[in-house]
Amino acid sequence: MAVNRNAEPELSFIQQAQNGDRDAFGGLVRRYYSDVVNVVYRLCGDSGLAEDTTQEAFLRAWVNLPSFHPQSSLRNWLYRIAVNAALDVLRRRSEDTAGGEKMQGLPDQAVGPETALIEKERVIFLQNAILSLPEACRRVLILREYGELTYQEIAQVLDIPLGTVMSRLNYARNCLRETLKEEWLQTENEYV
Amino acid sequence: MCEEMLPLLNVYLDGELHGIHLMHLEEHLVTCASCREELEQLRRLSDLLHALPTPQFIPVDRFVANLSLNLPRRSSNARPPRYAAWIWWLVPTGLVFAWFFVQTVLILSGTISLANATNLLGNATAWLSGGTQHTLWFDAMSSVLGSQAGSSPAAFSFLDQLSVFGANLLMQIFWQGVIVLLFWAWLAVWWISRRSQLVQSDASHQRS
Repeated sequence: MAVNRNAEPELSFIQQAQNGDRDAFGGLVRRYYSDVVNVVYRLCGDSGLAEDTTQEAFLRAWVNLPSFHPQSSLRNWLYRIAVNAALDVLRRRSEDTAGGEKMQGLPDQAVGPETALIEKERVIFLQNAILSLPEACRRVLILREYGELTYQEIAQVLDIPLGTVMSRLNYARNCLRETLKEEWLQTENEYV
Repeated sequence: MCEEMLPLLNVYLDGELHGIHLMHLEEHLVTCASCREELEQLRRLSDLLHALPTPQFIPVDRFVANLSLNLPRRSSNARPPRYAAWIWWLVPTGLVFAWFFVQTVLILSGTISLANATNLLGNATAWLSGGTQHTLWFDAMSSVLGSQAGSSPAAFSFLDQLSVFGANLLMQIFWQGVIVLLFWAWLAVWWISRRSQLVQSDASHQRS
């Protein structure tokens, strides 16, 4: 669980940003950019789309910042906005594309081209497995695995009961395990 | 594998299992090989997810610079200054004080008038009445009837004092009515503004 990093200056930044200070808001963006863009990327599966969606999320955050309670967790609030923004983008996008966002897994340049190709295929396979999860379960899984939120925080961010968080996470992991079974066996055989 | 343990394994893996459940599961894991294997698979899945490479996103400084260019003006959403809230709550407080003041003054005034009329306190309160208090109709009747009015001064004076008391009562009702109306008006304005704030907040919540 992420704790309030430099809580005192952050509170001051939030209050200044609420009063319209753009530099203070820039400071907050600097602090949370990598967390937010990473979660959005895992939801979208496309780096360019993730950057655009993250920008959209921070714009929404700026507009709605006066209604934010400084005592709450800004990170969780930003995650909520970012997840909603990502889902809006994905919904719009799914109308254009038949399905399956593309994954841009970069092969490790240090290994040989064949290994790099295999590695890239594995990454794409895994990312597509994540993207094929039901939306509600995917959100929970990503906030847990990449957002590193606690169950309680996920429940707050997504506005769902704690029991639902657990059941969705359980379902998502089971689905992934089923999908990745062959991949898994392959991995184990490689190591044997 | 123990089916009932699978959800607990997820919670355990995430470090969210505590107390008696944690002890129970750890004891179970010692004896159950299939659950240990299950837990190991879940760990492997988590490692696999974390091992996914992250692309190179645009540097944060460039992102902030781009974002700053697109930030809209936010004047309509600006928070009202704190002093405005104080002024807002001063209105009902002031009205309550005004109500107490009017009540006190009118009750005292009525009591003194009654005391003068019935001569209960003798001349002790005469100086407060500022001389003889008469109503307009008493003055009119006195001028019309002239000396005839003086023929029955006691009865006529009593009626006059009764009329003064009635006028005080009317005044009391009038001022109380004014204060109650002002309070209701403030309450209505407060309710309307609160409602619009809730609607705005709900809309912004939905947008976010």
